[in-house]
Amino acid sequence: MNLNYSDEQNMLREQVLKFCETNYDFIDREKILDSDSGYSEENWKQFAELGWLAVPFKEDNGGFNFGPIELTVLFEEFGKALVVEPYLSSVVMSGTVLEGSNHPDKSSIIEKIISGEHQVSVAYAEANIGYNFLDCVTAVSKDGDALSLNGSKSLVLNGGNADQFIVLAFHENSPALVLVDADVKGLSVQSFKTLDGQTCGELTFENVSLNTESILALGDEAESLFNRMVDISILCISAEAVGAMTSSYMKTVQYTKEREQFAQPISNFQVLQHRMVDMFIETELTKSLLIKATLQLDSDDPETGNTISALKVQVGKAGRLVGQHAVQLHGGMGVSNEMSIGHYLKRFTAIDSMFGNTQHHINKYQAK
Amino acid sequence: MDISFSEQDLQFQEEIRAGLNGSEFPANVREKQEKGTALTKADMIDFHKFIHSKGWMGYNWPVEYGGTGWSPVQIYLFLNELALAQCPTILPFGLSMVGPVIYTFGNQEQKDRFLPDILEFNTWWCQGYSEPGSGSDLASLKTKAVLEGDHYIVNGSKTWTTLAQNADWIFCLVRTETTQKKQEGISFLLIDMNTPGIEVKPIITIDGDHEVNSVFFTDVKVPADQLIGEEGKGWTYAKFLLAHERFGIAGVPVVKVQIEKLKNITAEYNDADLSKKIAELEIDLEALEFTELRTLAAIAEGGHPGAESSILKIRGTEIQQRLTELFVEAAGQYILPYEGPDGFESNRTPAGPDYASPSVAQYLNYRKTSIYGGSNEIQKNIIAKAILGV
Repeated sequence: MNLNYSDEQNMLREQVLKFCETNYDFIDREKILDSDSGYSEENWKQFAELGWLAVPFKEDNGGFNFGPIELTVLFEEFGKALVVEPYLSSVVMSGTVLEGSNHPDKSSIIEKIISGEHQVSVAYAEANIGYNFLDCVTAVSKDGDALSLNGSKSLVLNGGNADQFIVLAFHENSPALVLVDADVKGLSVQSFKTLDGQTCGELTFENVSLNTESILALGDEAESLFNRMVDISILCISAEAVGAMTSSYMKTVQYTKEREQFAQPISNFQVLQHRMVDMFIETELTKSLLIKATLQLDSDDPETGNTISALKVQVGKAGRLVGQHAVQLHGGMGVSNEMSIGHYLKRFTAIDSMFGNTQHHINKYQAK
Repeated sequence: MDISFSEQDLQFQEEIRAGLNGSEFPANVREKQEKGTALTKADMIDFHKFIHSKGWMGYNWPVEYGGTGWSPVQIYLFLNELALAQCPTILPFGLSMVGPVIYTFGNQEQKDRFLPDILEFNTWWCQGYSEPGSGSDLASLKTKAVLEGDHYIVNGSKTWTTLAQNADWIFCLVRTETTQKKQEGISFLLIDMNTPGIEVKPIITIDGDHEVNSVFFTDVKVPADQLIGEEGKGWTYAKFLLAHERFGIAGVPVVKVQIEKLKNITAEYNDADLSKKIAELEIDLEALEFTELRTLAAIAEGGHPGAESSILKIRGTEIQQRLTELFVEAAGQYILPYEGPDGFESNRTPAGPDYASPSVAQYLNYRKTSIYGGSNEIQKNIIAKAILGV
């Protein structure tokens, strides 16, 4: 029994922390949010140079062969600084699917992802299916030897910037994951800003022609690969939430110590102290489930799915409590867009909505 | 990172489990625990004698004082198995409270005199800390002990004294000197409950149970050799006792067993709303359980979790209380006919399901959990000061 991070993991954490301290203060971040792409290409280059884009990939594919623990270390630090670069979509999500597939070019695609020159997003959501992503309508149809893709995908993270998409679609009554170039004929992409300053795209496919190699996975294989991708994604955004919660309560403690009212720092008031303790407790409890889920995912424990749901519920509830308390204790400053604290609340709200919200995962956990 | 237990620890767990399921386990205790019936003093003594017969009584004591010398992980697993086997709690007053104070601060004569009886459960101890005027502000206590020759004369009163009606001995914080700083001038005294001048009066709690008492001291003559350590250092010993690692404070395995019972009850009428609340409770319990494991991992490495264990107390008691609310919700209108905590002793056929009356008794009784052991508000003050630095 040992719950310590390794030296290597601590070094990674230290490196990300330093990077964010130097390159990611609130003003730097504001500039990034105002840019067209919604992320900093300069930062992305640095991520590549620092080797971060190689973290989860196998050595055969040019990666570091790190596991879920290292990903959560990275994301926890990203969360503290509210990093907006498309790491989740371009590295974690697409990387998980590509590595699990048998696509002949997967190594060269992954190499390009690691070098930072290529971005791939997974298109899984659709307008009318809620969180039941596998009930999608988008389909690959067969006409002789020719395959064509029709339908639309929604809320594709970093959709406006991606060079390729991995699309969840149905093919011959089975779920399939298919690889599509962003500039292919028949595909239109409309990009939106998200509530927390990131970007997503609405995709429409009209008779997009595919070859058989485009099908990365089919049937049960596609389903389990997709579910694994969702589990890892939930783990990553939960780690991000833990980082954001840590920053939120620490910034709030700091603020209440400095802010004076009635001739004393407002941190003297017990009502506020207890609220901050509640923020701290929820953060620690979330961290506990995060570590539990991380270790289970790392060892392919059969309980992983339940723990992931438990984690997502805790992240949803705790994020709401911590985010709201942080805003409340900052008073008017908390609702000002020029202060970072409200941006944490936005990120918690966004995270809860992704890959199944609190309610969805309570139901899933209950049905276990 | 690795959360798994070692082979030896798992084997240890098996041995404990086998021992608890064995035929020597007192049948009267097992039967009452399964039914949820209150245990008598004789039942409790049978249980503790059984634990002693297995050599497990000093589970958290060092070997040199007759303890098991178990590692933190073994202690954790042992308490876990006890709870899963629906055992009563091993009474903490002798074993976990006064015992460690005696073997840490007492003299040789005191160790020889008191420790063996604690391990064999020949003496039932109770705790004389709280007073009518001092609850969370413990150091404000007023019970006085004045040294006259080779005796202290004790006057005053203690309250909320758990199971004092069964106790042979009481360990007390008493004021031996009035000092500027209230923490000074407090001493730690052991008192035989049969000494003339001691009166125990029951306090009946809102569930109708007699668990706690008032204890009155009128000119009680206590031999001076029953003072532990130095006069005026009692507060240090009391703090040591409070900080002494309180394993199992979160109550996780007990709640686990109860949740399974609740699920069996609710399975009958398929109440989606209640099922959802149970799922949410289970999720909170998972988070708490792993937080406890994180604390255990830190202790196993020689760390001393301080304020973090306040999280376990706060969230643990919140979960226990929510669980009792869900039982009450399951019982619905049949919480009304009230048999009290000894309901099963009556000859009447229970009106409604048999879990209904005990459920509401437990609900009322468990309000205590967020009040005792340093109220949850005090725990939050501790975290605010020690961790957040405000």
